[in-house]
Amino acid sequence: MADQDTINLVKTIEVDKYKYGFETDIESEYAPKGLNEDIVRFISNKKGEPAWMLEWRLEAYRVWQQMDEPTWARVHYPKIDFQDLYYYAAPKSMSAPKSLDEIDPKLLETYAKLGIPLKEQEILAGVRKQGEKSKLDDEGNEINESRVAVDAVFDSVSVVTTFKDELAKAGVIFCSISEALREHPELVRKYLGSVVPQGDNYYAALNAAVFSDGSFVYVPPGVRCPMELSTYFRMNAKNTGQFERTLIIADKGSYVSYLEGCTAPMREQSQLHAAVVELIAHDDAEIKYSTVQNWYPGDAEGKGGIYNFVTKRGDCRGDRSKISWTQVETGSAITWKYPSCILRGESSRGEFYSIAISNGRQQVDSGTKMIHLGKNSSSRIIAKGIAAGRSDNTYRGLVSAHRKATNARNFTQCDSLLIGDQCGAHTVPYIEAKTSTAQFEHEATTSKISDDQMFYCMSRGLSQEESVALIVNGFVRDVLQQLPMEFMAETQKLIGISLEGSVG
Amino acid sequence: MSQALQRTAAEQALGISLPHRRMEDWRWTDLRARISKPYVPQNVVAAAQDVERLLASSPFARAARARVVFVNGVLDEAHSKLTGLEISKSCAAIAMQDPVLEMNAKLQPQGVTLKFVGQAELLVEMIHISTNANARAMGLHNAIEVAAGASASVIETFLGEGDYVMNAVTQVTLGKGAHLDRLKLQNDAAAATHLSHVIYDLGENARLNDITVTIGAALTRQNGTCTFNGENAEAKISGAYLQRNKQHVDTALVINHAVPHCTSREMFKCVMDDHARGIFQGKVVVAKHAQKTDGKQSSHALLLSENAEFDAKPELEIFADDVVCGHGATAGDLNHDHLFYLTSRGIPEAEAKSLLIAAFVGEAFDLVANDDVRDALVELAEKWVTAK
Repeated sequence: MADQDTINLVKTIEVDKYKYGFETDIESEYAPKGLNEDIVRFISNKKGEPAWMLEWRLEAYRVWQQMDEPTWARVHYPKIDFQDLYYYAAPKSMSAPKSLDEIDPKLLETYAKLGIPLKEQEILAGVRKQGEKSKLDDEGNEINESRVAVDAVFDSVSVVTTFKDELAKAGVIFCSISEALREHPELVRKYLGSVVPQGDNYYAALNAAVFSDGSFVYVPPGVRCPMELSTYFRMNAKNTGQFERTLIIADKGSYVSYLEGCTAPMREQSQLHAAVVELIAHDDAEIKYSTVQNWYPGDAEGKGGIYNFVTKRGDCRGDRSKISWTQVETGSAITWKYPSCILRGESSRGEFYSIAISNGRQQVDSGTKMIHLGKNSSSRIIAKGIAAGRSDNTYRGLVSAHRKATNARNFTQCDSLLIGDQCGAHTVPYIEAKTSTAQFEHEATTSKISDDQMFYCMSRGLSQEESVALIVNGFVRDVLQQLPMEFMAETQKLIGISLEGSVG
Repeated sequence: MSQALQRTAAEQALGISLPHRRMEDWRWTDLRARISKPYVPQNVVAAAQDVERLLASSPFARAARARVVFVNGVLDEAHSKLTGLEISKSCAAIAMQDPVLEMNAKLQPQGVTLKFVGQAELLVEMIHISTNANARAMGLHNAIEVAAGASASVIETFLGEGDYVMNAVTQVTLGKGAHLDRLKLQNDAAAATHLSHVIYDLGENARLNDITVTIGAALTRQNGTCTFNGENAEAKISGAYLQRNKQHVDTALVINHAVPHCTSREMFKCVMDDHARGIFQGKVVVAKHAQKTDGKQSSHALLLSENAEFDAKPELEIFADDVVCGHGATAGDLNHDHLFYLTSRGIPEAEAKSLLIAAFVGEAFDLVANDDVRDALVELAEKWVTAK
């Protein structure tokens, strides 16, 4: 069924593929252009942060100034002028809304257009009052209303966080990081930078200095978070960079599933997005982190698009803890992103499931790091790269076992699919086994959609594009299955759209 | 970066800057730190009995009918058996550049070009002997040319005693439809450093079967660059490591699929014991128009001790869409089920282990075409396993 959806969708798509490219006309407040210590102070002041936080930011800024931009990734782009950016932009009406009713209707409209529910719906997915008709959207598709708590971030500020009260009843803290700094400074201070320190890398240092907003999640011991949490990032203002910071802590024996989505308007100029995500899992805790990244990829000639330089790292700090990353990368002109797991606890587990699709002139350099430090730690990597058009798609990963990580176990599979003869697919895995008891397996393949597969599908009456969509959906199935239910179907559609126009 | 570093005593003695771990290709082999004392290039005259003793220790003494003997980097015609060989004392210049080649050029290496025009009748052994003398650096630059339609079978053996740096460059050129079986056995002295670069150029329809067995030397870095210049050629490049104590082997192999319809196969079987460290960096590059490329690469490591280490970087760089490329890499210790199976059938554990180790590296030896040579290798591996 889902395959059929994809096919139908691919059919209906016009030349303009990026449907989130609209711009919201809203008056914004900017920090002065450029970057210096005063800007860092300005942002910190705007957020009403404690003095230690400002110090922390300034320290990061000073470290960043000493660092060189990394050049090892297989991506090419004109040098970024860090002085030609706005580091803070917020809708003017955003001074301090207390409830949903006070929020600028333009913002609500934007999120409605993006399909993000900000009104807390009481209806559970699939459960409807008798006689009530199912809701349909503009295209006549049925809207699935499920309960997902959303933190909506617009440029540099968090607009609203839904279901806060209900989550609070369970003891779960879910709010923007600015709010967390005000309400729970002791937690933030304890964990911020403990996985990705200020000077970790060039973009992480930049983020630490100027990060504006992001989400903060704390799940207390023994609590299974009652609903999916999600953050929706929207970049709107021109010439701004978005620097969000997410911090998720799962205390002993807890569970949380978190999803992030991102879109941006279509612009001729490229925009910078440098985020940092830190995950901490204590004993027996589990964090499931899913990303559907759909930033504006630029036009067919590679003009515009988002530069996505992201540092994501999870720390399996406790024994038997588990962190699972699932990512669907379809957007961004340039992706530089390596969600990693530090498997510190005994018997901890890290997972990485990735679909990276590049089309047009997109450049993707993505992968993961699994660093085995604890005994009996295990990890699994499934990466599926699809390159079409004139894009370059690189998988870069590291699996390492420390001398003390006895019985470490890893399985890695990275497959690449090439569509068209103008694209490139590359695999750069690093494997380091420092103990004989580690069992590492790595396999990678690169191929194109075989003529046999195409012939089979087309001889049964499918068009060329339908066949490609069908085969690609099969290729990425392993990863799709890891996504939360609500997003699986959505993602399948997205894959169809991303590859539209890549054959024939 | 390297310019900014002050030259070490070793670098001054060699007259070049050595690669270090900040360079991506050398991240696991810090030559600058590892070569700690000055190795000055110098000519050493060896005593005849030393040469004969070392020559006799070659496991291929019986199988090889023709012998080209180098003693301390210099051709020794008296000990060679050159009948039936087309040999000249010069080699074509190398267009490539890398730290091993740079050092090689600095060492003013000697060498020969072996040319094969007919069908392989003789198994030729090029044997490089280093005798025990002052710590020194030596260079070698040889070439193997197999003309169109010809076939050849060549063994390169490295044997030695004492403390030295051996830098050996070999150019292998295969003409249209040529066929070459090449085996390299590196069993240099325990204290030695072995650096090498083999450059393979394959013409249309050429067949290469190349095996490198690495047993000796404290530190080994072997680079390989294989380029397909004509369609329908096939290259099999394999290797086996038998390493223990604090030995360190790093293989960096690049396969350039520059033209369509070529096949490459790489298989490395690496056994590491004690504190030994094995590294395999394999890169398969498929150029934009090299459609119908079939490239497979595998590296397998068997770690026999808690302290042994294996690092791998199997890289694929693909710009053509109609290709079948893949790589596999594994690392682990002996399979406990296999061991249990054997011991439960009354085979003592030590013997069971050596059987499994022999079977593991045996997969690489199976590719050797000549029976005598293969037997010699199997025997060598057995000796290595039982030597502990």
